[in-house]
Amino acid sequence: MTDLLKIESFKLRKKLRAWLGPILIFLLIMISFPLTVELASDELKNVFYSILWLSSLLTVMVSLDSIFLEDFDDGTLEHYLILNNSLFSMILIKIFIYWLLIGIPISILGTFFSISTSGDFSSFYIAFPSMLISSYIFINLFALGNSLSLNKGSALGALITMPLLFPVLILLGKIVLNANFGFEISNLLLLMLGVLLIIIVIIPFIISFVVKTHLE
Amino acid sequence: MFKFAFTDLNQFIYMEGHGIYVWSVFSIVIISLVLAFIFYNKQLKKIKRKHSNE
Amino acid sequence: MLKKLYHQFASPKTYVVLVDKIYPIIFYTSLITYVFALIWGLAFAPSDYMQGNSYRIIYMHVPASFLSESLYIAMAIAAAIFLIWKVKLAAYIIKAIAPIGALVAFLALVSGSIWGIPTWGTWWQWDARVTSTLILFIMYLGLISLHSSFTNYEKADKFISVLVLIGSVNIPIIKKSVDWWNTLHQPASITLTDKPSIDPSMLYPLFLSMLGFSGLIICLVILSSKVQIFNREGNKTWVKYHV
Repeated sequence: MTDLLKIESFKLRKKLRAWLGPILIFLLIMISFPLTVELASDELKNVFYSILWLSSLLTVMVSLDSIFLEDFDDGTLEHYLILNNSLFSMILIKIFIYWLLIGIPISILGTFFSISTSGDFSSFYIAFPSMLISSYIFINLFALGNSLSLNKGSALGALITMPLLFPVLILLGKIVLNANFGFEISNLLLLMLGVLLIIIVIIPFIISFVVKTHLE
Repeated sequence: MFKFAFTDLNQFIYMEGHGIYVWSVFSIVIISLVLAFIFYNKQLKKIKRKHSNE
Repeated sequence: MLKKLYHQFASPKTYVVLVDKIYPIIFYTSLITYVFALIWGLAFAPSDYMQGNSYRIIYMHVPASFLSESLYIAMAIAAAIFLIWKVKLAAYIIKAIAPIGALVAFLALVSGSIWGIPTWGTWWQWDARVTSTLILFIMYLGLISLHSSFTNYEKADKFISVLVLIGSVNIPIIKKSVDWWNTLHQPASITLTDKPSIDPSMLYPLFLSMLGFSGLIICLVILSSKVQIFNREGNKTWVKYHV
């Protein structure tokens, strides 16, 4: 297990563009939005969270566009399939590493942006947990979509994954709405966490089924 | 229950100004249904022709 | 014994024979029902006191939006059958339904947006129900493009079934969106549990048009599934006798 963890994190870290690139893309998207609305206006505050969710979604989309492609081409996936069926744990760990190296950094950056935009430290409690959870869900679902469209291009993967993300986006919108009205948001966050816990177990299982079908 | 809801045929087509919406939806639905039936029947015919040629 | 029976029933050959028998019955009854319902609804039903005559679009719009969801549910059931029992017929039916579902969702969208002009004053509104129907439409297109990008149909069948099943989490959200959000769209006119919110003289033609439209769409699904079966099993001998 720890071996897998080390190997996967090494594989992602050694390619600088694969993990630093998406984080920089996130930064660029977040910076480019204030340029398109008038600076220091209230408009930015109103739409800030939707910008945040969408840029994290786009970042995940860009970073995962070839998550399984290299392993598929060089036969690593086949190796894990034959090797006492450790495909499931390998995929689980691969997704976790992506979240660790991309999901968590963009959550921290996004939280900084949200604090600086609202000028209020309390937005930390909205942005940070919801971004942590939602980025993990995004990574899981994009991994699924890209495993389905493995060597058929990332546009197909994005096309079939995006509709699956709408429930999460609706939930995120509800969280911001409730926070703006001063309601409790912990119940919605817990709901999202519950969804995540189900997804963490189920998605690698489905992906390993899909990968097995690809390798047939 | 089966009383004609309009005074005459022109009223029926005009529908107090809403006729254009009702009739455009009507024609879109009917045309696409007819086209879909024609399309699938043609495909089946094509397959039939292919098999009778063999 | 039971297993044999069920394998026999699920074989494409039995399906084609059965479907050929019932197709004319379904087609003509539903055609007559739909035409009758449209004449009743468009010409004889009383006009709505709020929306005037534009409400008559309901007789085209509600069947389409109802079927766009039901077809997805049917696909999800077929996908489950295919993945659990490996029934090939189910995979053919998924592939057959996808383009028809896209067509029906498109009809629901177009009729809804045309209906929006006289009632809402705008032809497009980012309201929950409209947006979720658009998502459904895109999901159908995604399924079609996923299946068509693989030349190995055996694999593509499995992938499309996985995607259909995962995507079915969106269906309850689409169904309930009208109740959960405060939006312009009126709540569903007919539900199984409550008393219908519209007058019987408008309701009966609506029911009939839903029945007739569903029958016609089932006929389309039958035709397109036959196309799928003949294309995929074209080299088997029984196909030659049944086309």
